[in-house]
Amino acid sequence: MLTTEKIYLQPKTVNDALMAAYDHINEFRYIAGGTDVLVNKFQGNEISSCLIDISGIDELNAVKISDGYFKIGALVKLKDLAKHEIIRNEFAALIEAANSVGSPLIRQAATIGGNILCENRCIYYNQSDWWRESVGYCLKCEGDICIATGSAKKCYSELVSDTAPVLISMNAQIEVADKEGITIRKLEDIYSGEGVNPRNLKNTSIITGILLPLSSNFLVVFNKLRERQSLDFTSLTSSFSIDNSGKIRIVLAGVDPGPVIVEGTINTGADIFVKEALKKARSIDNEMLSRKYRREMIRNFITNSLNKLKSSKIINE
Amino acid sequence: MKQIQITVNGKQHNLLIEEHERLSDTIRNRIGLTGTKIGCEQGSCGACTVWVDETPLTSCITPSVKCDGKSITTIEAIAEGGKLHGLQKKFVEKGAIQCGYCTPGMVMTSLAFVNENPNPTIEEIKKSISGNLCRCTGYKKIIEAIAEYSSELNGSTACAPSKEQNNEFSLVGKPRPYIEAVKKVKGEADYADDIKIKNSLYCKFLRSTYPHATIDEIDISEAVKSEGVRAVITGKDLPGHFGVLPISEDETAMAVSKSRYIGEIVAAVAAETEHMAQVACSKIKVKYTPIKPFFEMDESLEDIGENEKIHAHCKFNNNIHKKAELRFGNQNEALENSSHVVKNDFTFQGLHHGFTEPHAATAFWDENGLNIITATQVPHYLHKYLAKVLGEPMSRIRVIKPYVGGGFGGKSDPFPHEIIVSRLAKITGRPVKVKLTREEVFLTNHGRHPTRISMSLGLNEDASFNTIDTDIVIDGGAYGSFGVVTTYYNGVLLQAPYKLDNFGFRTRRVYTNKPQCGAMRGHGAVNPRFAIETIIDEAARNLNIDPIELRLKNLLPPDTLTIGQFRITSNGSEECLKAVRERSGWKDKYRKLPEGRGVGAAGGFFISGSNLPIHWNEYPQSVVHLKVDMDGRVLVTSGASDIGQGSDTMLAIIVAEVLGLTMDNIFVLAADTLLTPIDLGSYSSRVTFMAGNAAKMAAENLRKKILDSVSINKNIPLDELNIVNERVFSNDRLVDLSWIEAVEIATRKVGALNTSGFYNSPKLGGDFKGAGAGLSPSYSFGAVVAEVSVDLQTGMVKVENMWGAHDCGRALNPLAVEGQLEGSWHMGMGQALSEQMKYYNGLLVNANLLDYKIPTSMDTPMFDTTIIESIDPEGPFGAKECGEGALHPSVPAITNAVYDAVGVRISSLPIDPEEILMKIKSKKK
Repeated sequence: MLTTEKIYLQPKTVNDALMAAYDHINEFRYIAGGTDVLVNKFQGNEISSCLIDISGIDELNAVKISDGYFKIGALVKLKDLAKHEIIRNEFAALIEAANSVGSPLIRQAATIGGNILCENRCIYYNQSDWWRESVGYCLKCEGDICIATGSAKKCYSELVSDTAPVLISMNAQIEVADKEGITIRKLEDIYSGEGVNPRNLKNTSIITGILLPLSSNFLVVFNKLRERQSLDFTSLTSSFSIDNSGKIRIVLAGVDPGPVIVEGTINTGADIFVKEALKKARSIDNEMLSRKYRREMIRNFITNSLNKLKSSKIINE
Repeated sequence: MKQIQITVNGKQHNLLIEEHERLSDTIRNRIGLTGTKIGCEQGSCGACTVWVDETPLTSCITPSVKCDGKSITTIEAIAEGGKLHGLQKKFVEKGAIQCGYCTPGMVMTSLAFVNENPNPTIEEIKKSISGNLCRCTGYKKIIEAIAEYSSELNGSTACAPSKEQNNEFSLVGKPRPYIEAVKKVKGEADYADDIKIKNSLYCKFLRSTYPHATIDEIDISEAVKSEGVRAVITGKDLPGHFGVLPISEDETAMAVSKSRYIGEIVAAVAAETEHMAQVACSKIKVKYTPIKPFFEMDESLEDIGENEKIHAHCKFNNNIHKKAELRFGNQNEALENSSHVVKNDFTFQGLHHGFTEPHAATAFWDENGLNIITATQVPHYLHKYLAKVLGEPMSRIRVIKPYVGGGFGGKSDPFPHEIIVSRLAKITGRPVKVKLTREEVFLTNHGRHPTRISMSLGLNEDASFNTIDTDIVIDGGAYGSFGVVTTYYNGVLLQAPYKLDNFGFRTRRVYTNKPQCGAMRGHGAVNPRFAIETIIDEAARNLNIDPIELRLKNLLPPDTLTIGQFRITSNGSEECLKAVRERSGWKDKYRKLPEGRGVGAAGGFFISGSNLPIHWNEYPQSVVHLKVDMDGRVLVTSGASDIGQGSDTMLAIIVAEVLGLTMDNIFVLAADTLLTPIDLGSYSSRVTFMAGNAAKMAAENLRKKILDSVSINKNIPLDELNIVNERVFSNDRLVDLSWIEAVEIATRKVGALNTSGFYNSPKLGGDFKGAGAGLSPSYSFGAVVAEVSVDLQTGMVKVENMWGAHDCGRALNPLAVEGQLEGSWHMGMGQALSEQMKYYNGLLVNANLLDYKIPTSMDTPMFDTTIIESIDPEGPFGAKECGEGALHPSVPAITNAVYDAVGVRISSLPIDPEEILMKIKSKKK
């Protein structure tokens, strides 16, 4: 925890940020709004000696339309999403999701890029160093056992992003910059589904933007389960989309190390969606609400969202 | 280190800071602006909110380097030229400030919000402050302040002002802000961690990682050599026992030979910086031998091996700490003969007070001995136990209470950290400062006991109650604290507000290897009150009687004795129930709302000060001194601790009222054991009644002294003299002096006048063992109706409305009374809906403000508040308590409403949405 000399770098371009990252390859962490990193740092879960603050890179703050896509810069703050007319008109569910993150204070600083990269959570991991020492360090902090399941096999810390499910349900892609240049990937592809290292993304890579297709006319139903109406991380976030071809995409967060994605059409029965979602969601008892209850809520959210989706689809047509 | 340039409140600072430093540390420690408070250090309470270029941010999770070149605004800059900003004025006027600890953050958040959105709805306001936790107010008055500020900007007025009580007094009954509200809203009030004594060392603790273990060896050799370390001490250096109750002094400042819970302090370091102390702690090596731990109440009730006992002093071969049992009549027989009996079993999780200010203290020694500035509710007991454990005479110890950011019972014991820094300060010859992290605050606990209750109510054919019989187990954790009192209160506080012919209880408090439990708002009576009010609701359903009618029918009258010989004098319980019935529109709602929506009612009562002191002696329970000198200002000195509930203001109102003065002439100096007379402290809702009476007597004595002098000097009979509106005059106005002229006459040749007043409780109660428990010179009464909606899909419960009424005798300050009531209902709501202390093998899992879920502004309704005045015959101007008793009915009112909404009976708290769903489902089958 109290190791080498600490550094805080503030590059102004993506290239400078990447250079800084490669200069400090084993000891750095990118930081934007800081609402996730700083909390993990306080608890001793984030111990990088070098913080590379990318929030001064202006180019990542813009939104624009290009090639049938709407591109949202990774540094756009959650509270600012609603300022853009296209987001309000075409992707309103994203605003709803963003407004459910943390508290109004958190949303002043937190960015959309940061939210999709938000560190996975588990009640046995998001604790102080002393706490984790007392309980015996878990898999996610270099221990040899998962406290929640008592098994040594796998870490099931959960993806808790509220915006990622909505973005994935709307077929979002992300633009990733690294030394090799820019690549475009499906957002869901960056999640490994594995708790200890939850992302298939080199730690040097920078998400520069999020691309949303403009022609799909998505109808989206968003839902979030939490005990309090503010502050709480998600216990289950669901986003249901239907595009103009009748294709349905269900994306869940908060019940698995990665997003749970189930697809079908307007004719697929709710039971089939539920069955598949429950099969895929590897939720365990690792937060204040029980696994059993949250699985029950998966069923519930799917059935209700589907009904809502279908009825609004009919109204729209 | 890094050089940054920031402008703070218009002043440019060039600072050399740590690369990863947090803005909150830069502002508080480097720049010295301590109006920005620290509550959680992880962005989940909002106390540290500042503006960075006009944007409100939680400074505890904002890196300072990020702010290089930026402009920062803190609470200290909001009142320009010392003049309150319009929003700050509203916070003061509307009573939005109690302990004041969340206030700076709340102002920064809400002002930024209103600047951006000048015409908000109530819902928008609620949302805007939903990242700022307040534990005192229940948010209502904060929301009203913001609403009124913004609507006045827009040229209208939004909220009704607090109601003035009609009476014959000039100050009593007039709503007024706390006397220190302006200081708090400007961020100028210093709390324990804000006070910097020069040359201080910093203290950090090593805490046990074992729930139950012998400590075989502690190696401090590496720690002592660590950079900046000035002292390292362990349990053996402070072996003296203490505990707030003299009958259970089972605690030591640090674990001596045995650790009894995960988190118990094992060693302490004083070093030049907090960081150095922390590093040194990590170098201390402790060898433990684990002993079988006890986490569950049942295990602790069972017989066990001798070396498995948590405390050697337990009388029998188990971990039972205390058993209390009282019986009036034969309950088995009475229940058998009852025409209707309702029985139910209940379980309750433990709770934490959740005050927003973490514990903090600084100790230093000088020519007068030890001085300690600490966040405490009870300077006197700390004073006593510092003397005992440190082996110093009380005359060489001074305990000073600064502004305290809430307590609710959680700052009423003498604490290990207070004793430890006192010793470290002695050893090092330097001041030693400590502040606990939020995690440490939770581990220190002393909160509400996890409880299991089995209870029966017997009714006669005419639906009058005849019998309550109950068996209770409470989980005390590792040490005694107030537990013996809690054990009794769980039983005895069931004998009102309803009349009983037959009553019995047995409570057993067990030790377990978890952080200790103690007193929390509504001490000991909240859980059994929940049980009985739930059972009454069930009985009303069974007998098809309106539950409010059933309660009204069974109320005790004023001026009576309960079955266990509590003397009830003033009693507004009937008015309370009727008020909430009326205000809530009960008759149109009960059993008439659509599925998923319901209303529930409950009643309650509480002591207004414990009649017997904890340390039995004949010293008065409270003493207040007054001094007036030629400047005419009256100095009130009192040991009573204002922790945000408004007791300083209460003392000033009483003294000013008696002396016919305005508040401007009164100066209150409180809770400093060198300068103020002894008061037993802020617990058991005793302060208004006891310190208030002492203040009244002191003021009457001063009044008499001054009038005597004037009478002699002017040769006018005493009974023809009056003091009103700062004038001393005769009935015929031939003598008509200003207050200063009268004081001048009275102080001639003798100098400053001093008077004293005291309060001794009357002799009360029966002649049997345990008769003293629950005795009070007066009792408060209350009632609540809650309206809830239950989401039939998720089982989640939302409290939509809450109507509360409380008999506080007389509201000396209606604004403060409303604030206490609304805060109590909010806290009750937290217990009903979301708060619990969750353990994993004895380790507290949710020791933070993210997973310990205090309701946010968005979860809280705008309470409807009714004050009932029964004018107590012995209270000061008829006043009695209002800070705790209101909580009791709020919890069962919510769950009874859940029953009305979906037909599910809640017998386990907090409400579990999973259980609700399951029960709804099984009903439908």
